[in-house]
Amino acid sequence: MQNLGIQILFQGNNFLRLWVGLWVSLKLAVISMFFSICLGMLFGMVMTSTNKLVRFFCRLYLETVRIMPQLVLLFLVYFGAAKHLNVNLSGGTAAVLVFTFWGTAEMGDLVRSALESIPVHQYQSGYALGFGKIGVYRHIIIPQTIRRLLPSMMNLLTRMVKTTSLVVLIGVIEVVKVGKQIIDASRYTVPDAALWVYGVIFIMYFAVCYPFSRAAALLDKKLRD
Amino acid sequence: MNVEEILKTEQLNKSYENGLKVLNDITFSLKKGEVVVIIGPSGCGKSTFLRCLNMLEPVDSGTIRFKDRVIDRANKDVYELRQKIGMVFQSYDLFPHLTILDNILLAPVKVQKRERSEVAKEAEDLLKRVGLSDKTNVYPRQLSGGQKQRVAIVRALMMHPEILLLDEITAALDPEMVREVLQVVLELAREGMTMVIVTHEMEFARAVADRVLFMDQGVVVEEGSPEEFFNSPQTERAKQFLNMFHYEAR
Amino acid sequence: MKKGLLSALLGITMAAGLLAGCSQAKAPAGAPAQEASPSAKARSLDEIKKAGTIRIGVFSDKNPFGYVDSNGKIQGYDVYFGKRIAKDLFGSEDKVEFVYVEAASRVEYLKSAKVDVILANFTVTNERKEQVDFALPYMKVALGVVSPDKALISDVSQLKDKTLIVVKGTTAETYFSQNHPEIKLLKFDEYQEAYDALADGRGDAFSTDNTEVLAWAIQNKGFTVGIESIGNLDTIAPAVQKGNTELLEWLNGEIKSLAGEQFFHQDYKETLEPVYGDEIDPENLVVEGGQV
Repeated sequence: MQNLGIQILFQGNNFLRLWVGLWVSLKLAVISMFFSICLGMLFGMVMTSTNKLVRFFCRLYLETVRIMPQLVLLFLVYFGAAKHLNVNLSGGTAAVLVFTFWGTAEMGDLVRSALESIPVHQYQSGYALGFGKIGVYRHIIIPQTIRRLLPSMMNLLTRMVKTTSLVVLIGVIEVVKVGKQIIDASRYTVPDAALWVYGVIFIMYFAVCYPFSRAAALLDKKLRD
Repeated sequence: MNVEEILKTEQLNKSYENGLKVLNDITFSLKKGEVVVIIGPSGCGKSTFLRCLNMLEPVDSGTIRFKDRVIDRANKDVYELRQKIGMVFQSYDLFPHLTILDNILLAPVKVQKRERSEVAKEAEDLLKRVGLSDKTNVYPRQLSGGQKQRVAIVRALMMHPEILLLDEITAALDPEMVREVLQVVLELAREGMTMVIVTHEMEFARAVADRVLFMDQGVVVEEGSPEEFFNSPQTERAKQFLNMFHYEAR
Repeated sequence: MKKGLLSALLGITMAAGLLAGCSQAKAPAGAPAQEASPSAKARSLDEIKKAGTIRIGVFSDKNPFGYVDSNGKIQGYDVYFGKRIAKDLFGSEDKVEFVYVEAASRVEYLKSAKVDVILANFTVTNERKEQVDFALPYMKVALGVVSPDKALISDVSQLKDKTLIVVKGTTAETYFSQNHPEIKLLKFDEYQEAYDALADGRGDAFSTDNTEVLAWAIQNKGFTVGIESIGNLDTIAPAVQKGNTELLEWLNGEIKSLAGEQFFHQDYKETLEPVYGDEIDPENLVVEGGQV
C-alpha cells in the first residue's frame, strides 16, 4: 500500500507540534528584536560620535559580531558560560542573549546610517526653533529615522526568524527541529515525508513572515503620505 | 528719535579650521523694527554671520548682545534666546514626517508649552495670510518650493520672535516662485518686523531694506541706505559686485 | 586551533553579551562557586538522588534509538534504557528529564554539566575517551553488507573482483580499502546516491553500519543483508563527565545487574525489532552485562 507523505502531518498531534515549534522560533526572534531595537537605537547614536576612540570600539564590536558565526556565539554563551563562569543559562536565554548581541550591532549600524542620512538642516531647524538636543532627537530626528529604518528592520527580523533554526544545537526545539523529528520518526514507514514536512514549514514561515513585511510596507506607505 | 537697540555685535571673529578667516572684526547693531539686508559675493561670510547671530555656530571672539544680555553659546539660556530670534534657511527645512499644521505647531506646543487649540487657531490665521489655508493637513513633499518657504516663515513666526533671520530663502527656488515668498517678507517689513536678510535679489533688497550691508571676505565693506548704496556705491568692490547684476545692451 | 579561538573570543563575547542583555542574564541560584575549570562540575550521584530527577541527553531524531513519536513522546532503544535508569534510581520511570542533544554537541553537554548522562547512540572511541568517561557498553555495531536477493552476498569472499558501494568517509570505506584490496569500491558522497546506485545495479552490494542497512533492507523488497556483522566491532555505551566516578560505577553496576533479566533483549524487542524485523539475530546488536 502506498503511504502518502502528506498523511504524516495529520498523525497524532504532528501539525500542532509544528506550530508550537514555529511559536518558539518567533518568540525568540521577537524578544531578541525588541531588545535589539532598544539597545541598537542607543548604540547607533553612540556610533555617530565624533570621538575616535568611541568610534573604534563601536567598529570593533560590529566587526566582531559580523565575523563570528552565530553558531560559535551560541556555543560560547550556552556551554562556555557554564564551563568557565558557572553561569548555567537555559537554551532560550542563551539564544536571546546571542541574538540581541548580534541584533544590537546590526541595528546600531542601521540606525547610524539612517541618522547620518538625515540632512544637517533638520537638526539646525530644530535648534533654531528653540529645541534642545534631546528635543531635536525626540521630535524631529528619531521619528524620521524610524521611518527610514522600517524596511531594514523588517529584513533583520526575518533574518532573525530564519537564524533561529540554529538554536537546536543548544537544545531548543524549534520548528525545523520538530520537522526533522517528524521526518525521522517515520523514515521507515513514510520515506517521502521530508518533502511534505519541509513544504509545510515553508508555507508556515511564509504565513507568519508575510503579514509582517506587508504591515511594514503599509505602515511605510502611510508614513510617507 | 529714540529707537531701541535690540541686537548688537562687537568685533566678532571666526576662522575655519583651515585658517580661512570668515568673520573679521564685525561690529554691527540692529534697531527694533529695522530691516537690514546683507549682500555680497558667495563665501563672503554673510550666511555664517547670520548663523552666529542665532548661535548655531560658535564665534572665536567678540560678543553678541541681545537687548541687555550677552549671549553665550555655552549657556543654557541659548535655547530660550533662540525662540526670540527666528530663522528661515535656504533649503526647504520643513520636517518631512509631519503635516504642515504639525510642522507649525511642534515648537509652540513642545517648546513653549502653549495650548494646542490656541496655537492652532493662530496658525490657521497665519496660513490664511500667506495663502495656504487649504494646506494644513498635507505633507511637505506635496507642496511646491515656494509654498514650503512660506510655511517655514509661518513656522518661525509662530514662536513670536522679536527678530527674524532670513538666509537666502529664495536661492533654491524656481524664478516664478520667488515673488510669492518675497511678497510675504515685504508685508512683514511693512508691519514692523525686525529682520536681518541675506539675499541675492537686488530689486527686493532695494525695496525692503532700511539699511544695506555689503560684505566681502569677512569684512563689512560698505554700509548705507538702499538709495545711497545702489545708486552711488562708495567702494570699488561694491561697484564691481553690483555691476555683475547689470547687463549692457549691445 | 578551534578551541584556542573559542577561548580567546570568550572573554570579549561574554563581556559584550552580558552588556548587551544584562537585564536577562540571570545566574541560576545554587550554582556552586568554584574556581575556573575547563568544565562545570557535574552533579554527583548523591546530588542527583537528592534532586529527585536525572537529566539524560538523548537524540530526538535518530529513529529507532531516540526519536519523538507523532504524539510528541520520546521513544527508542536509548530512551527505553533511560527510563529504566530512572526507575531503578527513584522508583519511577517518569523521574527522568530527557534533554534533546545533537551529535556534534554531545561532549559539550557533559562538560558543561547540562546533562548527567548521555545515552545518544554514543560510539566508544579512543578520542572520546579523553573527553568523557564511558560506562559498560549496552550495544554494538559492525558493518553490514546488503545486496539483491537474486545475487545475494552472504560471505565476504563472494565479493572478490566485484563492485562494492560505499559512502565516503565512513568506516566501511576505511575497512574495505585496508583489508580487502581485492574488492572494487564505488564511492558516493551521500547515502541516497549510494542506495540509488545499488537499486540501479551499478554495484553488486552496499556496505555501511549494520543498523543502517538492516533497517533499509526491511523497507526495500528484493534486498537482504547477507552479511550482518563484519569489520571492527564498535560499542555503544552511556557516557558521564570525566571524573564522575560514583555515577559511572552505579551505571556499570546497573548494566551488570540488568543482564540477569536480559533487559537489553527486551529493549531490542520493544524498540528495534519493529524496525529490523524478526529475521535478524539480536546477538549482532545487543550487549548484555557489558560483555561484548
